[in-house]
Amino acid sequence: MSRRMHACRLAVFTATIIASSIAAAADFPATPPAPGPAPQLSVPTPSAQTLANGLQVVSVRRAGLPLVTAQLVLRSGGEMDPPPLAGLADLTASLLTKGAAGKTAPQIAAAAEALGGSLDAAAGWDESAVGITVTTPKLSQALGLLAEVVRQPDFSAAELKRAQAQAIDDLRLMLSRPTALASLAASRGVFGDGAYGHSRGGTPASIARIGRADVQRLHAALYRPDNAILILAGDITPAQAQQLAQASFGDWPKPATPLPARPAGKAASQLPAVLLIDQRGAGQAGVVAAHAAPSRGDDGYYVGTVANAVLGGSYSARLNEEIRIKRGLSYGANSRLQPLRDAGLWLASAQTKNPSAASVVELMLGEFKRLGSTRVSADELAARKATLIGGYGRSLETTSGLAEQVGELAVYGVPLDEIGRYIAQVQAVTPKQIEKYADKHLDAGASTVVVVGDAAQFAADIRKAHPQAALLESTALDLDSPTLQPAGSRK
Amino acid sequence: MRLRPAALLAPLVLLTVLSSPPLAAAELTIPPIPYHQRTLPNGLQVISVEDHASPNVAVQMWYHVGSKDDPQGRSGFAHLFEHLMFKSTKHMHAEQFDRLTEDVGGANNASTGDDVTNYFEVVPSNHLQTLLWAEAERLSNLNVDEANFKSERAVVEEEYRQSVLANPYGKLFNAIDPKSYAVHPYKRPTIGSIEDLEAATLPDVIAFHKTFYRPDNATLIVAGDFDPEQLDAWVDQYFGWIPKPATPIPQVTAQEPKRKKNLRYTVTSETAPLPAVAITWLLPPASDTADSIPLQVAAALLSQGDSSRLYQSLVYRHQVAQQAGADADGRVGPGLFTAYAILASGHQPAEAEKLLHEEIIWLATQPIPAAELDKVKTQLLTGELKQRQTAQGLAFALGQAALIDGNPEHVNTDLAALQKVTEQDVHRVLQKYVTGAHSVTIDYLPQAAKGEVK
Repeated sequence: MSRRMHACRLAVFTATIIASSIAAAADFPATPPAPGPAPQLSVPTPSAQTLANGLQVVSVRRAGLPLVTAQLVLRSGGEMDPPPLAGLADLTASLLTKGAAGKTAPQIAAAAEALGGSLDAAAGWDESAVGITVTTPKLSQALGLLAEVVRQPDFSAAELKRAQAQAIDDLRLMLSRPTALASLAASRGVFGDGAYGHSRGGTPASIARIGRADVQRLHAALYRPDNAILILAGDITPAQAQQLAQASFGDWPKPATPLPARPAGKAASQLPAVLLIDQRGAGQAGVVAAHAAPSRGDDGYYVGTVANAVLGGSYSARLNEEIRIKRGLSYGANSRLQPLRDAGLWLASAQTKNPSAASVVELMLGEFKRLGSTRVSADELAARKATLIGGYGRSLETTSGLAEQVGELAVYGVPLDEIGRYIAQVQAVTPKQIEKYADKHLDAGASTVVVVGDAAQFAADIRKAHPQAALLESTALDLDSPTLQPAGSRK
Repeated sequence: MRLRPAALLAPLVLLTVLSSPPLAAAELTIPPIPYHQRTLPNGLQVISVEDHASPNVAVQMWYHVGSKDDPQGRSGFAHLFEHLMFKSTKHMHAEQFDRLTEDVGGANNASTGDDVTNYFEVVPSNHLQTLLWAEAERLSNLNVDEANFKSERAVVEEEYRQSVLANPYGKLFNAIDPKSYAVHPYKRPTIGSIEDLEAATLPDVIAFHKTFYRPDNATLIVAGDFDPEQLDAWVDQYFGWIPKPATPIPQVTAQEPKRKKNLRYTVTSETAPLPAVAITWLLPPASDTADSIPLQVAAALLSQGDSSRLYQSLVYRHQVAQQAGADADGRVGPGLFTAYAILASGHQPAEAEKLLHEEIIWLATQPIPAAELDKVKTQLLTGELKQRQTAQGLAFALGQAALIDGNPEHVNTDLAALQKVTEQDVHRVLQKYVTGAHSVTIDYLPQAAKGEVK
């Protein structure tokens, strides 16, 4: 009798364990649980004031951590380079921190880094910026340093020579990357000899031509308070921003002369529609396809933003879906829409093994055509909008991201409260608007395709579909020329 | 070694420079990360930290497996496997992870290192439950088919071509580990090689998942906008049932021997426009914080920013290099201290190598101005503060501390330890591991492409 009771208890215990385990596994849902109610993103509101000298002061508060990003932004950039001096604006910006107000370059670097940050300066298109991110207690000192480099750069001959040598080496490194070279060539194809068509970072030849007087002249013409915006993002209030700006920039004099006129950004292309550039020994080919796009002020700005999100704005967009996910041809394919003040660029790019470059060209052109001829489905559109909106929200999580978003609005004269309307504007874009936008701006007849790589492995294949494709050597290019070929050369 | 007169002048210049900026008035205070940690009965480690600064939540799964665990003859396998974790499972179709992240306003990625593989996502916080389910699903029910395996392997091969072959300095950085380790599996590059990737098979994938992807070899980290009680309930629900295998987890037992002499290698490149040089020394594990934190400070003194010693010497004063850097790479096993330079036009590796050694020896033996030490501490601490602005940044800081440094508490204690590093600490670690140890030097030389006519 007692023996039977013992066996029974053990059996029950074992069964319990087994049953419990089976139950747990069986309870694991076969479908993902649905999301809960959507949280609300709060977008900070920028505050703007203008000092007596014309300097616009923009602050946007994000309390939490004691960090502030300070940026002095000009409403001018590489498009202001005189024709023979490509790269002048970017070189000038980089020289700001190489000696100012009696401090040497090493002293300025040490002073910035002692504050925990670094002063970074560069010229883009339509804007140039120098900025630093520091903890709040160090902001006042950081602004003092920022004011010194912006207002009183030395532009010494020795520093110019050093910066030129470094810029030329940086260019050689950049131009050895297939996609970087292809993108530069494609921009020529879209903008021709217009201001946006030259290499913003310059070329080895144009950088070498720059003299000290050129740098001083550009600085005097563009670095002035009525062409500038001071942006302070992070742990700072509008009153503090005003006070600090007045202390460091209030006595910066506004010149009597008018701002220089802006050149036309775009001119007719002088390149063939399909260009192959032989970079012998390249480990991969860079494939780029580009189109002209509207300027920043175009009514269709948000339509274009969403259209690009569908085309190639993220991992799950169409270009990457067709080129990487379905076919394994690239580690990533993407596109970017770059609306500028006077014109715009829509550029797709991917790197792939040399033999598959021809396939990637056709896949890109195919996606351009599809976007302009077929409506985006509601599901796909909702997904791409969500990607855009999520990325936008996350960009506002850091002080440097906030400064960048606000700075872009300020440079292009967009009302600053637009920062709070981005989400609604993106949501409002319709499939019909996208189809119309893409049909107009992704016209196959206006594509510029550039492939850079080991041409022996892809030229013949590309010419099957594009017999007119021209072939150049990467070692024989003249990047200062709208034809990319040295003067006097004919092919 | 007798130092060149130019090097003797360096500290005078530095002293002049560094006397200008003001000393930090007080130590920078960084709020501690108030994390919560627990272990499930099946061995899964869970670390969480609430942060309601924005309505997002970061979910990261760190598996304690990396390229050091690649099967023999299958270099690059841990990384290839990482890519395959985004393919199908029993209850998810291929790429569905992107539907659950990108398509709802989030983002995802993954990375494979020597020691760990991490899968990291950020989503609007109302999608946390969905992602916890999805991470549990691929941990327990991965189900890759042959077609997806081949397609994704092709992608990884393109990643290899892009980062190693098409990147002008890719071959240099890819050569550092193979040349620096004699026997430790860190010797294998994380990205592998085309040949080894082509040798991989689907059965290898299944075996790897079964061997290494298990709850007792994983740490789940959640940071951001969530309710802690709800999180615990979901973790128990979706992960608690996953069984802990009876078999032990394979461990690396190889002991990297002490170097007995200096070694030199040459690697060539068809696409690099300028030569380069890299020098490495072996370091202790990152968990040895008495040494690893001063080593981080030493590397920052050498190369963090334009006022750093290597930049000032090689790039600014001598203009021998276009870039120069130093890095103290702490790992679970033996790490590497690396100093490198990418040359400027018209210069050769030997010139840069000499200057690299001079600056390191100087730092290891001569007084370090207090202002310079304060500068570097301020830079490192400000960098930490920047990282902690986002949920993803918080999660990464915790993952690094828990998995590489050996304990999540390092996320807070290391910052305090950093502020206490002294000149003597820096001297001690550099003399022990760098100036008093043997090096491996790699010269990286451009070579004319085949068939090029000159």
